Amino acid sequence: MSIMEYNGGSVIAMVGKDCVAIASDLRLGNQALGISSNFQKIFPVTDRIYVGLPGLATDVTTLRERFRYRVNMYTIKEEREIEPETFAHLVSSTLYEHRFGPYFIEPVMAGLSKTPSGGLKPFIAATDLIGCLNFAKDFVVAGTASSKLYGVAEGLWEPGLEPEDLFETISQTILNAVDRDAYSGWGCIVHVITKDKVVSRTLKGRMD
Amino acid sequence: MNTFADRFSTTGALAELRKAQKAADEEEFSDAMWGSEAGFGSLAKGVPTFSVPNIPDPTAFLRLHTDDHADPTCKIKISHGTTTLAFRFQGGVIVAVDSRATAGSYVASGTVKKVIEINPYLLGTMAGGAADCQYWETYLGMHCRLHELRNRERISVSAASKYLSNLVYSYKGMGLSMGTMICGWDKTGPAVFYVDSDGTRLKGDLFSVGSGSTFAYGVLDQGYRWDLTDEEAQELGRRSIYAAGHRDAFSGNTCNLYHVKEDGWKFIGNYDISKMHYDGPGNVLGATGGGYGYELRVEGLSSANPPVAAQA
Amino acid sequence: MENLFAITGKGYVIVAADTTSARSIVKMKVDEDKIKVLSPHLLMAYSGEPGDTIQFSEYVERNIRLFQIRNTYPLGPSAAASWIRRSLAESLRSRKPYAVNLLLGGYDTNKHEPHLFWVDYLGTMTEVPFAAHGYGSYFVLSLLDRYHNPEASLEEGLATLKRCIAEVTKRVVVSPGQYKVKVVDKDGAREIEI
Repeated sequence: MSIMEYNGGSVIAMVGKDCVAIASDLRLGNQALGISSNFQKIFPVTDRIYVGLPGLATDVTTLRERFRYRVNMYTIKEEREIEPETFAHLVSSTLYEHRFGPYFIEPVMAGLSKTPSGGLKPFIAATDLIGCLNFAKDFVVAGTASSKLYGVAEGLWEPGLEPEDLFETISQTILNAVDRDAYSGWGCIVHVITKDKVVSRTLKGRMD
Repeated sequence: MNTFADRFSTTGALAELRKAQKAADEEEFSDAMWGSEAGFGSLAKGVPTFSVPNIPDPTAFLRLHTDDHADPTCKIKISHGTTTLAFRFQGGVIVAVDSRATAGSYVASGTVKKVIEINPYLLGTMAGGAADCQYWETYLGMHCRLHELRNRERISVSAASKYLSNLVYSYKGMGLSMGTMICGWDKTGPAVFYVDSDGTRLKGDLFSVGSGSTFAYGVLDQGYRWDLTDEEAQELGRRSIYAAGHRDAFSGNTCNLYHVKEDGWKFIGNYDISKMHYDGPGNVLGATGGGYGYELRVEGLSSANPPVAAQA
Repeated sequence: MENLFAITGKGYVIVAADTTSARSIVKMKVDEDKIKVLSPHLLMAYSGEPGDTIQFSEYVERNIRLFQIRNTYPLGPSAAASWIRRSLAESLRSRKPYAVNLLLGGYDTNKHEPHLFWVDYLGTMTEVPFAAHGYGSYFVLSLLDRYHNPEASLEEGLATLKRCIAEVTKRVVVSPGQYKVKVVDKDGAREIEI
């Protein structure tokens, strides 16, 4: 039994037109046994950055606390909000610090970064459990349903989706992918980040 | 060195096995496993035998390639997760099963038929190796029919389950994997027998088998009474499979429900487990209305206990 | 095998733990108390590796007490649970981790609501309306999905708990005979005979 599959759970992030979306399931399990159907894996970092932490549940909580601490320290020292690219490197180095005894988490990040001209540019990234960064232009996936998420996302995603269409795409992707994964599911949550607001919706998923 | 000796020796268990293999190759059927042809009068050749991997230790070979607990990348995957249940009550037998098949964490199918209709009076359930259950229970059906032709009366559930039990016992240690309930109605009334590939055969009122069986028992035991009405019994079967489908990762998708009465079994229905969670089983006998889901059942209820003054 | 159960109800949490202390096939003790009263409104039931359970629970007990002495007020249920979780998570990556599973039941005297946390030896924590540890959980969770009522009176809550204990006694091969039951509500923590 793999540690990465001990608690189950999956996260996906997608790029749209001037927006990004990130979604996860809500299951916390102990292998086959479902414990909780309201275990959040996605957390806000700033108003424009969200991070998803699929993997071993104890490390979900630990890393969430660690990232919150480090981002707060950054904000105090720099006297400004952290940018998504910077946050991605913060995540990467936090994980690599534990190269020889890693946190069993594969983080997925989604956010809008500031451009020099003052606009906003969609940003998504994911890392493996020791912090190897993967910047993608379309979508990133992680967790026990990652192989299934790849399949569905590859079929549904297209460039330049408006926020409403992106919401539909990411929702259909995660709902259908987790239905083919025994360790993910028990409801889903989706966050769509646009320049002036974040829309969070809990989806009615299969409960078996 | 031992392997070498084993391979070429003419005595010992492995040599016996090799001889049996050779005999099987020459003769299409062998009745070696039965010791005699008793009970198979019309099938002079006995039961068919199976080809065995031609290596020193076929049992170890099979275990190596089918044990996905030890090695998820093993070559032969036997479907594991399941919830099945059957119970006897005043109005007959209720048989309920889920429909999920998993290979590792992959949900390979959500529409598996885990109730095997052996004949109009007998049902078998499927847990463990899907192929093993399907094959041997169909095979059992054949022999039940032969019994009818020979003896001009239907086989008892007890006898049918004993056939199956003896059959799988003869393959003990060779990797057969099945946990099944043989259910039916005979001269003695409703009957349920649990038969598994270890050779265990148990008569009883209430059984549940599979990875989700514990969850089913949790609901089943608490709601079970001998004098359940037909509607209550069907609802209990559905509710118990829902409970298992909800909590167990390897059970789910849909529930198939059967009711065995004096005039044979009847298929009651197929119910989506997620639909049962949110909306209940629909307009069916015994349903109390509303979803089974905990969150739906307790919606609006709160454990908070503010003092009366604080509420105002 | 050890079993822990906990159920929330209208203004209370019931925490139950079996009372057997086993070593190999021998029951060494049949009236062991595995539920600690950490503060006036906080209960902790623990199970797991013998030795670790006692050491860890006493470590937690002393530290929660120390906080109360230093600050003159006790930690609330969720704050205490977070601290305990972190202790376990840090221990997990030490040379010899504590192998202890916990159920934390507390009553928030400010918001007048009960809280229940499920915590395992890895430091996994989640808040739930009912919880169980041990083989019993495989029978009891589905039972509680069916019978748990968040607004149940204490009597009704205890009746549900008795259902759980009866089910485990009926179905688990080596099930413990007796259980100690404690309850925490607005009046504090106390033991209850069932």
